[in-house]
Amino acid sequence: MTTTPIMTVTDLHKTYGKPGTKQYEALKGIDFNVQAGEFVGIMGASGSGKTTLLNMLATLDKPTSGEVTIHQQPITHLKGNQLADFRAKEIGFIFQDFNLLETMTAFENIALPLTLQNTPTKQIKPAVEKVAGQLGIAEFLSNYPNELSGGQKQRVAAARALINEPAMLFGDEPTGALDSKSARELMDLFTTINQRQAVSILLVTHDPFSASFCQRILFIKDGQIGQELKRGTASRADFYQQILDNLGTFEQ
Amino acid sequence: MLTKLAVSGLKHRWRDYLVLFSGLIMSSAIFYMFEALATNQAFLKQNTSISMVGFIFQFGSVLLTIITLVYISYANSFLLSMRKRDYGLFMLVGARKRKIGQLIWLETLLVGIIATLVGIIVGTALTAGISQLLINALGLSIHKLAAWYLPAALATLILYVGLFLLAGLFNLIALTKTPALKLLHSNDQPNRPQLKAGRQWAQIIIGLVSISIGYWAMANLGTLQLAGIGLALVTIVLGTYCLFNAIFVWLMVVLKRFAFAHRGLNGFTLSQLSFRIRNYTKMLSIVAMLFALALGAITVGMGFHRETPLMAKSSNAYDMGIVNMTKAEQSKVASLKPTEQTTYHFKTKQKTVFYRASEFNQHPYQTIKLESRNSLDATTQRLKATQLAKSQLRYQLMQLQTPAFQYTTPVFLSDAAYAKLAEPQNRLTIFVTDDVTAHLATFKQLVKSQSDRNPSIKTGVLGGRYSNYVMINGMYSGLEFMGLFLGIAFLAMLASCLMFKILSGANADQHRYQMLAKIGTTAHQQRSAIRKEIAVLFILPGIVGVIHVLFGLKMFSMLMVSSPYTGIWIPFLIFAGLYLIYYLITVNIYKRIVLQ
Ligand SMILES: Nc1ncnc2c1ncn2[C@@H]1O[C@H](COP(=O)(O)OP(=O)(O)OP(=O)(O)O)[C@@H](O)[C@H]1O
Ligand SMILES: [Mg+2]
Repeated sequence: MTTTPIMTVTDLHKTYGKPGTKQYEALKGIDFNVQAGEFVGIMGASGSGKTTLLNMLATLDKPTSGEVTIHQQPITHLKGNQLADFRAKEIGFIFQDFNLLETMTAFENIALPLTLQNTPTKQIKPAVEKVAGQLGIAEFLSNYPNELSGGQKQRVAAARALINEPAMLFGDEPTGALDSKSARELMDLFTTINQRQAVSILLVTHDPFSASFCQRILFIKDGQIGQELKRGTASRADFYQQILDNLGTFEQ
Repeated sequence: MLTKLAVSGLKHRWRDYLVLFSGLIMSSAIFYMFEALATNQAFLKQNTSISMVGFIFQFGSVLLTIITLVYISYANSFLLSMRKRDYGLFMLVGARKRKIGQLIWLETLLVGIIATLVGIIVGTALTAGISQLLINALGLSIHKLAAWYLPAALATLILYVGLFLLAGLFNLIALTKTPALKLLHSNDQPNRPQLKAGRQWAQIIIGLVSISIGYWAMANLGTLQLAGIGLALVTIVLGTYCLFNAIFVWLMVVLKRFAFAHRGLNGFTLSQLSFRIRNYTKMLSIVAMLFALALGAITVGMGFHRETPLMAKSSNAYDMGIVNMTKAEQSKVASLKPTEQTTYHFKTKQKTVFYRASEFNQHPYQTIKLESRNSLDATTQRLKATQLAKSQLRYQLMQLQTPAFQYTTPVFLSDAAYAKLAEPQNRLTIFVTDDVTAHLATFKQLVKSQSDRNPSIKTGVLGGRYSNYVMINGMYSGLEFMGLFLGIAFLAMLASCLMFKILSGANADQHRYQMLAKIGTTAHQQRSAIRKEIAVLFILPGIVGVIHVLFGLKMFSMLMVSSPYTGIWIPFLIFAGLYLIYYLITVNIYKRIVLQ
């Protein structure tokens, strides 16, 4: 494994509410790195600040203070077109509620990031078919989102996030709306993508089973990183047990 | 308990209700405005002498009723889609169907009645405001127009409440017969655009054939009379809808195959359009009809406005004749800077006016002659005494002789014979200015000072361009007013229609555009996508509307002396300007809702 971090997070703070009104400090100084090709999970109780953190990292929201870099590029001050370009080229997202455009077919949804970059039409079709093949949704490409199951929708969303070959993939509870079988299939997919294409993945989840697919897990409590768990060479089943044990003590 | 829930749902969605209410209020206000003219027999009789106008109002009434019908069914489906989720939830938590049914019925009716009542009030205010504006701006003479007219209010109330009763019934059935789960998810069903060649062609053919029949009927209204209006009405509405249905679906499917659909957000925009295609085709047909009505009405109104001074101009070569002009009058006339001013002397004896032939030979009298009955192009000719005595056109001089002598035939005498007449001598001063309509106030003063001297003189009795203008203006004002008034009303209806459609989709789009931002679309790309999507919704009905107007204007060739097509680029340009402004406003509102 390489040692150059693909993402660095330094002393990140987030306070909700304007000064003078009722304020709430959701993040209280977060520091960590993600190495290139790493698969990191973030866990924590409800309200602990997971989504808040992910939104900062993925440029969806701005921190009150602190800095995040991806590929050595500071991202918290990106604005306008730079921000849009950064989102389109460097990162991919997957959300709990899929966030597909119900007006477009699966194919069109997946192709959207490419058309946004004005990729030549000839390259679009093979690219979509390739990623759809990898994710096992090739036969559903002409369906509209409401004609797909939850698991299929999430795979379409994943395909859309991956089509631009981003450096980082972010997921906020991507398995949250899936049954355990679909969740396992999706996590298996993430593992494969992570290993084969060396995409770094950062997942927020409160599901220990999904978390057990990660290489490293950060536990957040009250807006701070409380603990870190590394999988090392442990099997997934053992790691799962470790997580459960850890949650038991951590949540006390 | 359930009622409380329903009311809380209502509070929650006040913004949607605001859209719904303002749309319905606008629609009923405009229906009232139209009926305030159409049902007011006294007004129609007073202001038009042409029986065709009655037909045209009946035509408009039926058309507006059809449009209202679609509009309400549309508003209702908006209301329904707004409430489906809530009612689905009520059912899931175990509310009785009967109870829910009552609530739906009540809500629909309440919305309808409140909107209609407010609409009638707004309509009354609009009628008063717009008519004042038009009358003042154009100098029209309008009589017997009442802003508040009970029969119109009743007609509006009956139509709207009736339609809402139907809508309530429809909602009752639609909601109580649908399973709760389907109600919960009914908002995200796409209309998959399907291209079935056979059906597509059938629609295109039916569309083209019916529109052709409609155009033919409008062109031959003279022979078809009232039946022609009915025929044109049915066929054009049907044809427009079929064509939109066929061509719009086809366009969306075909355009997606082109490379440009894979550029930026073009594919997204096409998908947006085809997603709501069924709603859009209905709306676009209505908008095309309204566009045609508004533009047509304004064009006709302006046509009459343009025609009035032209007709006055070709009625006589001189603006006015003054007998025994005073010093004060002379200075007024001088202030008009007449391009020509001539004074002839005359003496009268019984039924004859005697002029000096020598004066006419020195300053020949200018006559004016129309080239044909259906044209305002005229030729002028200067006639000396002998020619004038023989000419049919000497009536033009007779008109200028002021009422006392108006129907007396002029006789031209040699100076010697003239001198022998013992009667007192009078002076007739005739003059012409560049533009009679530019100095209406001064002319009015001239008429007044003459009638002070001679009580038998009244406006309209004096011959010449000025009094002919006053007379024709009186005759055409009614038509002109109706055209412009209805044009504005239809334009407002069109605005509220498009606005309604577009804003009702804005909430769903807000979430779509947020999603687009997350995957890296620039704000610029999003704005241009919005502009394009709304531009399509404006341009398509605009094109169809213009074509309808170009054919529809034929109907008015019977009412107008000159061709109704002369100078149409002026109203078209004005209309295009208004439409453009309206487009920009819509885009702005939409952007504000969607991109926060
Ligand atoms: N926009 C906001 N304004 C004010 N407070 C907020 C806002 N968003 C989140 N919070 C608060 O910040 C804290 C962290 O919220 P966050 O959404 O990050 O939790 P989470 O860990 O993702 O929880 P969950 O597992 O339930 O999704 C919560 O206490 C929440 O109330
Ligand atoms: Mg969360």
